Amino acid sequence: MRLVKVVGLVAALSLGGALAQDRTQTLIYGGDWSDLITMDPQVSYEFSGGLVTDNLYETLVKYEGADLSTLKPGLAESWKVDRGRDTWEITFRLRRGSKFSSGNEVTAKDVVYTFERALALKGPGSFLFTEIAQLKPGATRAVDNYAVVVSLPKTASPSSFLSILTFNIGGIVDSETVQKNARNNDFGKEWLTNNSAGSGPFRLVRWDRGSQVLLEANPNARIKPKLQRIILREIKEPAVLRTALESGEIDIAEGLTPEALRALAGNPRFKTLKADSLRLNYLGMNVKEGSPFANKLVRDAVRYSINQDELVSGLVQGNGTKIQTLIPKGLLGYDPRTPYTFDPARARRLLAQAGYPNGLEFELLVSTGICGGGIPCADIAAKVQADLAKGGFKANVKAIANAEVLRTYRAQNHQMVLVGWSPDFPDPDGNATPWANFEARSLAWRNVWNDPTAIRLTNQAALETDPSKRVALYRLLTDYVLKNGPYAVLYQPAIPIGLSVKVEGYVRNAQGQVRFENISKLP
Amino acid sequence: MLSYFFRRLFFVVFVVWGVTFATFFIANVVPIDPAIAALGDNAREEQIKEFRERYGLDKPIWQQYLIYMGRLLSGDLGNSLRTQRPVAEDLKEFFPATLELSVAAFLVTLLLGVPAGILAALRQNKATDVTVRILALIGGATPVFFLAVLLQYVLARELDLLPVQGRLDGFTFPPPRITGLMGLDALLARDWAAFLDSLRHLVLPAFVLGLFSAAILARMTRATMLEVLSQDYIRTARAKGVPGRAVVFRHALKNASLPVLTLLGGLLGGLLSGAVLTETIFSWPGIGRYVTQSATSLDFPAVMGVTLLVGLVYALINLIVDLLYAFLDPRIRYA
Repeated sequence: MRLVKVVGLVAALSLGGALAQDRTQTLIYGGDWSDLITMDPQVSYEFSGGLVTDNLYETLVKYEGADLSTLKPGLAESWKVDRGRDTWEITFRLRRGSKFSSGNEVTAKDVVYTFERALALKGPGSFLFTEIAQLKPGATRAVDNYAVVVSLPKTASPSSFLSILTFNIGGIVDSETVQKNARNNDFGKEWLTNNSAGSGPFRLVRWDRGSQVLLEANPNARIKPKLQRIILREIKEPAVLRTALESGEIDIAEGLTPEALRALAGNPRFKTLKADSLRLNYLGMNVKEGSPFANKLVRDAVRYSINQDELVSGLVQGNGTKIQTLIPKGLLGYDPRTPYTFDPARARRLLAQAGYPNGLEFELLVSTGICGGGIPCADIAAKVQADLAKGGFKANVKAIANAEVLRTYRAQNHQMVLVGWSPDFPDPDGNATPWANFEARSLAWRNVWNDPTAIRLTNQAALETDPSKRVALYRLLTDYVLKNGPYAVLYQPAIPIGLSVKVEGYVRNAQGQVRFENISKLP
Repeated sequence: MLSYFFRRLFFVVFVVWGVTFATFFIANVVPIDPAIAALGDNAREEQIKEFRERYGLDKPIWQQYLIYMGRLLSGDLGNSLRTQRPVAEDLKEFFPATLELSVAAFLVTLLLGVPAGILAALRQNKATDVTVRILALIGGATPVFFLAVLLQYVLARELDLLPVQGRLDGFTFPPPRITGLMGLDALLARDWAAFLDSLRHLVLPAFVLGLFSAAILARMTRATMLEVLSQDYIRTARAKGVPGRAVVFRHALKNASLPVLTLLGGLLGGLLSGAVLTETIFSWPGIGRYVTQSATSLDFPAVMGVTLLVGLVYALINLIVDLLYAFLDPRIRYA
């Protein structure tokens, strides 16, 4: 009798799900969105924040599909870069008739307001405007209702600026609505944390922290989405992510383990995808005076010791690309060549030549966390350690908290680190300057690699506006850094994603942007 | 009575102060820089410097502690380094989910633990008793994550009876947030579908979280009941011809409830603070998950806020348990 009651209760509870709304109009996207801090496009600098705000706000220019090297019109239907006397003058012509979710038209004053807002709020991504583009307050002017001119100093790279504008920091906000909700001169920062005021295909309806974000089609948008509702469901555990996908609770699962991806690939109800990222996992070698890695021969010996093919196909299980130069696949200037082959005998000879005939012992720092591709960093370190041993090295792996790895690295106190890097903006300079320019106080500085040739080439390539000349310069630079620099790139991780077969039109570019308006669902 | 109450209240304040002191210094001997943990690899040196100044991380520890305590006395828990908003706001957002889950798990504990314990005691050394003891042993020894994943796989994925994760189905529109307790909010909005859906979502996590305490409770209830049932006054009651049911419930259970009550207080506190794993596995947005994330990013004000809240709740539960003693046992007097 009691059993009957229990079964009855469970059955009654299961019915709850049947009362749900039209499932073909709602997409549920599961993943670890726990880095969400704000929905304000000028403040957000987190991956998940970008994923959401890119669909709430339009930018002047944008990338389409997976291509991150050709700019396409966004709110601006055209743009041109002119060489002024001491400045670059970049003119944007806005499309007429684009509307914010409030119904207000998008005009030049909103662009000026947005850019000034980004400078005033000094958010974590504001250095893209202030340092990379060297944009100053007052440098953005409305010429008429539909034309804006931005003046940048000659030392800044206009291509970098344009690619920064595809980022959420360049997401144009509705100046009237935002200003109406401003408090104590905060440019509406507090309000925009939980609300949206954009012209993108969706608007923010509700954000339950730690649980889900609910977006609905923006009725006034120029771009009409195929679905009415998008829900980003926060699921941190990869195992739960998989079960939730298999039981139909979510339509897309981002960040599965390589094993889960393999299991799903054999199931006709699901599709799998290895989405590119712009991340590079690499070894950084400290070349300061007195360090064994100061000798170029030793660095070369390291590069010849790593069996990249085995690493990518074995441990990484194909969730990554073999790469050796500093510009990731997907960006202008990417070089697919991999001249360093696995050659431990040669590595031993180089070591002997450098004065270490009996091998070299050192410390390899690594994070206790997960590295790109869903693999524990320590596992990758163990593989690297085994490879290096064949080349005559004895690497003592020290696994510590990620923040501690970074602190040591930033203080130049490491011998060798195994870490990852993602560019701040989708332009080759987003990697070239940190990796090759010592003066930028980033990766080259941390590894104490101060090389005038690399610095000169980096600056030259950053300012070049002719794409083909730029590619040639980056070819020179990446090749130079590969052979002389303090790095051994391991692989470019991919993000394992599982989808229901009913989901169509899902594309995630290497910058992590997904245009929800293109996604549809079969019944 | 009243003076006892105030004495205990003073004790609560003292305990909570001790908690702040311990947490603060434990958090600060960790040799990791919270600024780097919060800003990540790509952060510029200036950003890190600015961050340290903004949150006072550039000052000596004892100064940081004084500043923190000063603010705390005026009711300000400070700002979270990770979410960058007031910790009090975060707690308001995440605590209701934990409360909802713990109360449901507590019901599971009570409804499974007490009857099982009584039943086992009444049928000592019979099949029922052995079964209950074995089940209690299994319940107490099964790791939460194993049980959770197993139930998710069987009940949710294979049989499709219950949801895998979350507080509400993605396709169900959430009710307006009033109390933060999903079920109650759904009731207030008269949204029956959402109410039922929220109950469905509560079943698995509450069962998983409550099972361990239910197992402990069952064993404790059994042991106490056995002891009480062997007392002279029970024999006397039976000899006087008092019906069996009345003997068990009025005479035995009431006298057995004192130690059980003490245990229950501890169990409830444990459920509130021990939901970390359950919340993670069921994607339940409560303070357990909040505090794990805060701890890994060395978000000291957030960890401190949660510790304070949990410490306070613990102390209050203990106070209530103490006061209930007097109600259950008239011999106890608080003078």
